Amino acid sequence: MSLTFDLYVARRSWAHRVDPRVKLLFVVLGAVTMILFSNLLFMVAALAAVHLLTASAGTPRDRFSWVWRAMLPVNVLIPLLWTVFYPEGEVLFRVWVLRFTPLALARGLAVAARLDTIALICFFWLFTTDQMSIVRSLVKVGMPFEWGLVLAISLRYLPTIYGLYNVVADAQRARALDVSRGNIVTRLKSYLPILVAMLISALRTADQLGKALESRALGLEGVERTSLHEISFSKVDYLIAAWLVIAFAGAVVLRALGLFTHPWYPLA
Amino acid sequence: MASDTIIQVRNLWYRYRDDIVALKGVDLDIGAGDFVAVIGQNGSGKTTLVKHFNGLLQPASGQVLVGGHDTRKVGVGALARTIGFVFQNPDHQIFCATTREEVAFGPRNLGLAGEELDGRVEEALHRFGLVELADSPPAVLGFGMRRKISVASVYAMRPRVFVLDEPTTGLDWRNSMSLMDTVRSMHEDGHTIILVTHDMKLVCEFAQRSLVLRDGGILAYDDTREIFKRSEILKETGIEPPQIAELSKRMMSYGMPDDVLTVDEFRAAYVGIGRSLR
Repeated sequence: MSLTFDLYVARRSWAHRVDPRVKLLFVVLGAVTMILFSNLLFMVAALAAVHLLTASAGTPRDRFSWVWRAMLPVNVLIPLLWTVFYPEGEVLFRVWVLRFTPLALARGLAVAARLDTIALICFFWLFTTDQMSIVRSLVKVGMPFEWGLVLAISLRYLPTIYGLYNVVADAQRARALDVSRGNIVTRLKSYLPILVAMLISALRTADQLGKALESRALGLEGVERTSLHEISFSKVDYLIAAWLVIAFAGAVVLRALGLFTHPWYPLA
Repeated sequence: MASDTIIQVRNLWYRYRDDIVALKGVDLDIGAGDFVAVIGQNGSGKTTLVKHFNGLLQPASGQVLVGGHDTRKVGVGALARTIGFVFQNPDHQIFCATTREEVAFGPRNLGLAGEELDGRVEEALHRFGLVELADSPPAVLGFGMRRKISVASVYAMRPRVFVLDEPTTGLDWRNSMSLMDTVRSMHEDGHTIILVTHDMKLVCEFAQRSLVLRDGGILAYDDTREIFKRSEILKETGIEPPQIAELSKRMMSYGMPDDVLTVDEFRAAYVGIGRSLR
C-alpha cells in the first residue's frame, strides 16, 4: 500500500455509494466536533464509533493496522509529553523533579484519541472515495476545475514519480554511483545525479503532458466544459447530510453547556 | 566466439512482490565476446534477467556469476567495472551540464582521474561522433544524440560486457544503424554484447546468438540462424521474422536457402539462383 499512494479500497458498501461531498462534510464537521471537546470518555466513544463506521464500509483489517502504525508516535509521545510537561491536580508519584498526575495523563490520552479520531475520519473518506471522486467533489464545492485537474494529475503521477526515482537510481548505480559512501554531506551530494536526472525527466513529462492536454482543447475559451461523470445528491445523501448538520448542532449545544470539556468528568 | 564464459546463470528464480514470478529456474552461459540478443514478448522476463547481470536485481534463489564472482557478494558499483548497462531511456541517466562531464561521470565513479580519464572521455566522444557536442548540455539535444551520449558514457567505463536494453527504441533507421554499427565495432574489439530488443531486423543483422524467453523461462538459446529456422519457436513467442527471411522461405521452391536473415544474404543467394537458372 505504501507505494501506491492511493488509499482507496474498492468495495460496494453504503459508504462508497454516498456522495463524496457528504463525506467531505462529515470530515469537516467531524474534525470540528472533535476540537470542541476534551473529555477522554467522549474521545474514546467517538474513536470507537468512527472505527465501526469505517469497518462497516468493508475496510480490511490491514488498513486499520496501517492507520494505527502510522499513529503510534502520536499515541506514545503525546500522553508521555503531556504527563511530563503539564502536570495538574493530584500527584500520583514523583521522579526527580517530574510530577505524574492522573489528570495530565487523561488530558494527554484525550488529545491523542482526538487526533486518532480526526485521522480515522479523514481515512474513512480516503478509503471509501476514489481519487477522481475526491477531485470531483472538491470542484463541485467551488474549487476551480484547473486546480482540481492539477490535484488529480499530482495524485496520478505520485507513483510514476516514485517509479521514476527507482529507475533513475538504478541507471546511476549502474554507472557505479554509490550513495552509501562517506559522511552525510557526501551522501547528500551523491544524490544529485539522481535528483537532477529525475527533475529533467519530470519537466520533460510535464511539458509533454501540458501540450497533450492543450491539444485536447483543455482551457478552450468561450466553451463551458461538461463532465462525463456527474455526481448528484440522492435522497439518502440529503438525509445523511441533514443528520450530520443536526448532530453537529447538537454537539455545539453540548459544548455551549460546558459538557465533555473536562478530561475525566464528562458532566463537569 | 570466445570459449571462456563471462556470465553464468544457475537455476535463477525471481519474484516481483510475492505473487509475480518473473524468472523460473533460468540456466544460462554467456561466452566472453558473444553477441547475444535477448528476445521475447513483453513480460517474458528479458529486462528482469539482464538486471541480474549487474546486480540491480538479486536472485530470489539460484546464482548469477559474473567473471566467476557471485553478484550477491559484489556490489552494483564493483560489477559496473565488468558490466556496462545502458538503460532504455537515456533521460534516466543524463544530468550533467555538458556532454563531456556526462561521459566522464562513470569513469570518475570508478576512481579514474587525470590523463587516463581524459583519454577515455576523448576516445568515447570520438567513437560516438560527439566531439562537436562535447561542451553542449546533453539534456537539450535531440533524442538520437541523447541516446548516443548514454551509450558513450557507459562505453567510457570500458566494461567487458555491454547490456543494451532496447537501445534503438525511438530512433529512426539511420540513427539506429549508426548506433548499431558502433556497437558492432565494440563487439569486434572483443566486448561481449547483450542486446534486449523487439526489433528482429536488428537481431538478424547483428546478433550471433539469440536467447528466446517466454513466461520467465528459456524457450531456446542458440545461434540466431538456427532460432529463425525453427518456425514453432517463433510462433510460440509471437515473434515475426524479418520480411526478407519470410520472403526467402517462400522462395525455397526456387532454390532459395531457408536460413536467410539479411538483405545482403538474400541478394547473394538470389544472384546465385539467377545464375543457375540461366
